[in-house]
Amino acid sequence: MSGAPEAAVRDLIYRAALLLDAERFKDWLALCAEDFTYRIQTYSPEIRKQMTWLQHDMPGLRTMIEMLPRHNTDHGQLSRHVSVYAIALEDGGKEASATSSFICHRTMLDGINAHLDAGETQLFLVGKYHDRFRLADGRPLFRDRTVFLDTRRLDKGSHYPI
Amino acid sequence: MTADLTSYGNEALPFVDSRIYSESSIFEEELQKIWKKVWLATVHESELAQPLDYRTLTLAREPVIIVRGSDNQIRAFLNVCPHRGNLIVRKPAGSLGVAEPSGNANHMTCMFHAWQYDSLGRCVDIPRQKQGYQDRLDKSQVRLTALPCEVAHGGFVWVSLDPAVMPLADFIGDAFGFMREELESEPLDIFHYHKAFIRSNYKLWHDTNSEFYHDYMHYFNRATSMMQKGYFDRHYTTFANGHCTVGSMEVKYDAYQGAGDRPLSFPGMPRNGWKMVDLFPGTTYNIRGSSLRVDTMTPIGPDLVMIEFRGIGLKRDTEEERARRIADHNTIWGPFGRNLHEDLLGITGQGVSMRPGTAPRRVLHGRRENLSIHDEIGMRHYYSEWARRVGRSPADPLGEGMAAE
Repeated sequence: MSGAPEAAVRDLIYRAALLLDAERFKDWLALCAEDFTYRIQTYSPEIRKQMTWLQHDMPGLRTMIEMLPRHNTDHGQLSRHVSVYAIALEDGGKEASATSSFICHRTMLDGINAHLDAGETQLFLVGKYHDRFRLADGRPLFRDRTVFLDTRRLDKGSHYPI
Repeated sequence: MTADLTSYGNEALPFVDSRIYSESSIFEEELQKIWKKVWLATVHESELAQPLDYRTLTLAREPVIIVRGSDNQIRAFLNVCPHRGNLIVRKPAGSLGVAEPSGNANHMTCMFHAWQYDSLGRCVDIPRQKQGYQDRLDKSQVRLTALPCEVAHGGFVWVSLDPAVMPLADFIGDAFGFMREELESEPLDIFHYHKAFIRSNYKLWHDTNSEFYHDYMHYFNRATSMMQKGYFDRHYTTFANGHCTVGSMEVKYDAYQGAGDRPLSFPGMPRNGWKMVDLFPGTTYNIRGSSLRVDTMTPIGPDLVMIEFRGIGLKRDTEEERARRIADHNTIWGPFGRNLHEDLLGITGQGVSMRPGTAPRRVLHGRRENLSIHDEIGMRHYYSEWARRVGRSPADPLGEGMAAE
């Protein structure tokens, strides 16, 4: 039976998903420690190598988010469905790690043919979150997130953190 | 009326008819007259680093396997069993050194009836050969269909489906001349691979890679290049067989918030330089400072293309250098990068407006700026070669006398 720190970690992962879904990226970053690092990775059976497709520290994420309005995108709405599978407390409860499974759907607005496709929801990504946390006074903050994708065919791709 | 096949119909304002991007009959003709006839860049040799490593792919609908043989030579074969025409090797990549449920290690085994082939394409086992074929067929008479195959131009494996294809050196000519030092000074190594299926015609992706006027779509390129000194000094050079190159400039990466100087480079490459080679019918080499991106295409239908993107660095990279190259590459070129997403949105939109069955339209290829960066000579040169090979005018592909309006 999980205790309060585990529940707080689980709650944080779910709150992060809701904020990302709402594209409230600055609020999402407020859940992260200042030394937070973020990366999207996958393994390619074609070249038989693990690949990093995006990697940022906190300043890099802030800049990436600030620059989003300057870039063209398809305005698809991403919806993350997360299941937290495992949480482990470490270092006497000062640290924690968690593994979660996620599915990310994209509900189309434009990007293909809005008249035909707007409103259609497509399966965009399947993968796992591997998160690390720092806990202070029972309050966890994200210290590191690796988004490890099973999906490798992203077609048009995305400008948004997953 | 006989169309001038190399003419754009209106020399004052060249255009193509949108049906070259949408007609099924034209697409089928392209497969036969272009894609089955020319040299195609496929995988990088570093994807087959060890003897018995293989990669499978599809060229103009034909299943192909590329194998580094036990003698360390890379070869290409049709990945089709001569027995009953089944696909032989099904995984995208691997080593023949691993035994399969139906066959032995070191062999390509058709799981259907367990015919086995060695890494040189020779048949080495036909189960119950004597009982079934008596003296009418011997495994020594059976081998996989070998395809013309060369490793060249930065370690890429070039393959043709045409046994009578012209020599690769003649097909390429001097198109890689200004990138030779970057590509040939030392071994290269792949660090990135991903693919995209886009509902659009393959030529529209090559068009995008062959013109820079669309830099208006990319804030990153406007800030780091178009607004910087030297951008309009970049020039196109055309080469025989439909290829072209775009000259370099010094990109000001730090003009984009969050991006920085790219101190890493390739041998011979100017710091923060940017060189491109566009090769007929659908390959692009693009070096931006620290990373080489190579696009290859697999046309699926008139309105569907698979584009494969590879990121390449130097084999001798330290771990730190490789991480830097990957970060630079991903800033604009990864699936979460700034530019690639925008470029793919661009041709997706063209795919919507030029889907099969839409009315013929004129698509302008008419910018002339003394062959400088916003000139559309790259596209016009491509379609001259296209016209020569398919025997159709790009402006009047169905011989109707310039029907597109």
